[in-house]
Order: sequence, then structure tokens, then C-alpha cells
Amino acid sequence: MSFPKKPGGKATDILQNLPRITLANLRPEPGSKKLEQRRGRGQHGGNRSGRGHKGERQRGNRPRLGFVGGSTPFYLAIPKYGYNEGHSCRPQYQPLSLKRLQYLIDLGRVDPTQPIDLTQLVNARGVTVQPLKRDYGVQLVDEGADIFAAKINIEVQRASEGAIAAIERNGGVVTTSFYDPISLGILIKPVPFFLRGQPIPRRMLPGEDMVPYYTNAENRGYLADPEKIQQARLALAQKYGYILPDISKDELYHMLSMRKDVRQIFFGLAPGWVVNMTEKKILKPTDEKLLKYYSS
Amino acid sequence: VMRPMSCPQFASSFAGESAVPSNLLLPTNLVDPSRTKRPPPSADCSLPVLRTCDAAIPAHLSPIQTWVETLERQDSEPVGVAQLHPDVFAVQPRLDILHQVEIWQRNFKRISHAHTKVRSEVKGGGRKPWNQKGGGRARHGSIRSPIWRGGGVSHGPRGPTSYYYMLPMKVRVQGLKVALSSKMTQDYLHIVDSLNIPTPDPQYLLDLIRHRHWGQSVLIVHVGEELPENILQATADMKTVNIIPAIGLNVHSMLKHEALVLTMETVQFLEEKLLWHDKRYTPLYPFKLPYSDL
Repeated sequence: MSFPKKPGGKATDILQNLPRITLANLRPEPGSKKLEQRRGRGQHGGNRSGRGHKGERQRGNRPRLGFVGGSTPFYLAIPKYGYNEGHSCRPQYQPLSLKRLQYLIDLGRVDPTQPIDLTQLVNARGVTVQPLKRDYGVQLVDEGADIFAAKINIEVQRASEGAIAAIERNGGVVTTSFYDPISLGILIKPVPFFLRGQPIPRRMLPGEDMVPYYTNAENRGYLADPEKIQQARLALAQKYGYILPDISKDELYHMLSMRKDVRQIFFGLAPGWVVNMTEKKILKPTDEKLLKYYSS
Repeated sequence: VMRPMSCPQFASSFAGESAVPSNLLLPTNLVDPSRTKRPPPSADCSLPVLRTCDAAIPAHLSPIQTWVETLERQDSEPVGVAQLHPDVFAVQPRLDILHQVEIWQRNFKRISHAHTKVRSEVKGGGRKPWNQKGGGRARHGSIRSPIWRGGGVSHGPRGPTSYYYMLPMKVRVQGLKVALSSKMTQDYLHIVDSLNIPTPDPQYLLDLIRHRHWGQSVLIVHVGEELPENILQATADMKTVNIIPAIGLNVHSMLKHEALVLTMETVQFLEEKLLWHDKRYTPLYPFKLPYSDL
């Protein structure tokens, strides 16, 4: 309808003619307060109080859960197999589809003119990462690859081939890097970390099993050789059938080529620095040993 | 449109007595023809528009026009017109949310200290009072069992229990908005340009309220730390007229007092704070910690 709707609607008209709303007039929505069940009271709740008639049921002596009267119970008859073995040590990655990423960019929640980091994604409330639940970061997923059209410099922890192809087809840059759980917690919520007053720690290097992943150029790992990454980009372009746009001639080349150092967590800050939010100051270490440790 | 009345017309058959008995308690919800409703200001009004909404109003809604009055004179002539945001002062009258917020306000602070002793806590009662067999009396194991006089209570209240719970922040905010809107629609909300009174006499305020038929109790809400001393002195000893800062505005106080008086700065403050919740992101960490973008 083109003419403005009256705010509040018909209910305000009715309310104008009703008596004043006071503390005595309030009552809960009918049906919202269900009375609790009281056992052993009254004609229907009393007598056996919902326990049944005689036997173990009424007397509260039923056997334990899973007991089937004496024969081997189901949970013992089935042999063990390591389906969930070590599940609490397995790294999990929160999926981020290209469709969702395009949605965030279109709404202006994520700025494509700056490098997109996990901090930016979390600030835009695009993903929710829980480092305490064995989340090691975010993985890019193929869904929405055909509608994706944004040139971005994105850094995630895992990326599928189709997602890498879709981003590079539009002239963007993907990097996969590793964050250990403590660094991940700091990366997601930087403000509570800065309020703690601790110096920014060094980002740990990946463990043995993850090193091959992050040194592989096809995954665009941050430890891989830049020349091999360039070759991998050409190979991927050939495989998926698109012309690889030349980034070096792009006006945003400087932004697209911004990468974090291996031990760095935040873009402008180095490990060892202390950020003071109340006084808006950054304190840097001057001791030789500390400098040597933090820059190693 | 009928309104509750302040002084009914009674005729007494006894010659000597006054019309209204002094201990008569009347509910304020009675019909009152004397409290006439002043129609809301129309578009072509001679009085100046003293306040417009700062926040953007959605296209399908229009701002609410209200009279702005003054406390400096006893007469009830409005001084100007103010525009209020519809998303704060004309939301759906959700009485169930009002009820929820009111009950929460009452109960979340409650700690009941009722505590009874269980049979193991009552002093004594460790020894079997008499032998199991041979006494002719009923068998008992201790003199403090719940059957006994002076024994422990089996299922009584145990220790200080807390009834603390929090409603979601947005529900509490909506409760405030609904309360303000219901005061607005039922004509109990009055906007005032400032809180300057000529005298610190409480009687002046009472006469003003009686003359303008505002009701039995008035809640005045102000913003900022500096206040004219006159109104503070006038309201200090009065039970029915109370002045609170805007951060202390709550549903219980609004429902308890009949009329609500806001200054224009208060309206500005309330609109800003209450409308922020409609557009904010979900919190990553508590809002008290600094955010750069929210």
C-alpha cells in the first residue's frame, strides 16, 4: 500500500477506549503458563502417583539403562570400531560458502577493498567460530561459485578447489594459513585480548600432519613457494577453463598482495607488542633477547 | 471518549454530612467526563514544532505529533508541538511482554531466605529412642524424624534460593517501548519543554496536576546531572510525584504511576537508546567492552 500505515494498527484504537493499563490489569498470555504436574495430589494425581501397579516400576527398582533381562545387551554385542576415536582432537573448520560471502559483500558488512581476514568475517557476523570446540578456522566451500563476482584478498584456513577457482577467476587472491587455537581465539576477539594487557604472541607453525597441506601450492598455502603458486594458478585456470586475469596490472595490486608474516596474527601489529586501548598506545619491546625471540 | 474521574458527584440524603465520605477509595478506572481529551495537533497548527525525530523513520510510518506543555504556568495551554518516533512511542501494545517484564523485574532480585532444618540437621536424634521390639510402642529410629513433633521438615524450603533469571535484552527493550506506547495511546504521556518551576512549593505541583487532570500520581523523567533545585525540593517529600533519571526508567514505575512526564532531552535520549537495539549486531563480547563499529 502506498499510503502510510497507522503506527500500532487497530490495537492502539482499541487501547484508547480501554481502561488504564496498571499493575492490576496485567495478566499472562492465555496458554503461556502451564501448571506443573504435582504427583500424589487429588483424585487423578494421587493413589499410585503415576508409578503404575506393583513390581519394579512402582517400587523404583528397575535395572540400569541398556539391560535386556540377562542376554548380552545391544551395546555390548556390537563390536567396537573407531568411528569417533580421537574426535575431540580432530580439527574442525566452519564452512563459509561463496554465496554467503557474496551476500556479506553486497550488504556492505565486509569491505572488499581491504584484505579479508577471519577478524573481518567475525566482525561482520558472517561466521561464528568456536576455538574451544576444536575449530581451527574457516573453510571456503564451493556453493555459490557461479554467482560469485567480487575481487577480494581473502585468507582462510582451508579452501576447496572450486572456491579457489571462483575467486581467482574474478581477479582475487586466496591464501590458506594456519592459526593455532590460542592465536585463533585472539584473532576472533581482539578487543578482550587487548584488554588483558598481554603482549601479542607469535603464531605457531602447523603440526607435522598439516605441514604438507600448507606447503602445497595447489592449496595456496602460506608456506608454499610463490612461483609454484603462480604455476598452480595457471594450471587451475586451464583446468576450469577461464582466462587468469593479471593482478600485477590491477590498481588494487598493493592491497591484493598484502600477506601476513608467518608469525604474525594481525596485519598492522607484530608479535611482542602490547596494545593499550584506554590510552590508545602501542608498546614495543626494546630488550635484545625479547626482540630476538619475537622475530625468530 | 471516557476517562477515569477524579471527584464523583454524590448526593447525600443526610443533611449534615459532606457528599463524599473521607474514607472512600475509588478505583481510578471509573468513567470521568471532566477529563477531556485534547485532540492531537493537526498539520495546520499555529504552534511551532519544537522537536523533530533525529533517527530515520521507516517510509510506511509517520511520526507522532504531541503537544509540548510547560510547568511554569498553571494553565494548560500547550507551548508547541513535538514529533515522536513511531517505533518507540507507537509499537504494538504487547501486553504479554509487559507482563513478562513486570514479573521479571519483581522476581529477578528476589532471594528468599526461608530455610528449614532437615532431620539430620535438627539437634539430637542420633540414638534409637527405644528398642525395636518389646515396648508396645511404634517403632522409631530417631526422635527427629519428620513424623515427630520437633522433628525435621522433609520437603521444606532449603536455604537461600535465588529466583534470578534474565529476559533477553531485546525483550526488555521492547517492554519499555510497549509501556511508553501504551502511555501515549491512553493519553497519560506528557512532554514538557523543561523542568523549571517558579516555586519549590509542592502544593504548586499538586495544583498544576489537579488542574490539568493528569491523574493521581506522576512520574517525571529527566536526563543529565544538573536539575533545577525547585523541582527537586518540591518532589522530595511527595509520595505520588516522583522524579527519576532516564537511565532509571522501568516498566514497573511506569505502570505504577498514572501519568508520565518527559522532557524533550529525555525523549531524545530514550529514542536514541531504544532504537539502537533494532539495528545492532549480536554481541561477540559484552557491550560494556569497547567496540569500534557499534
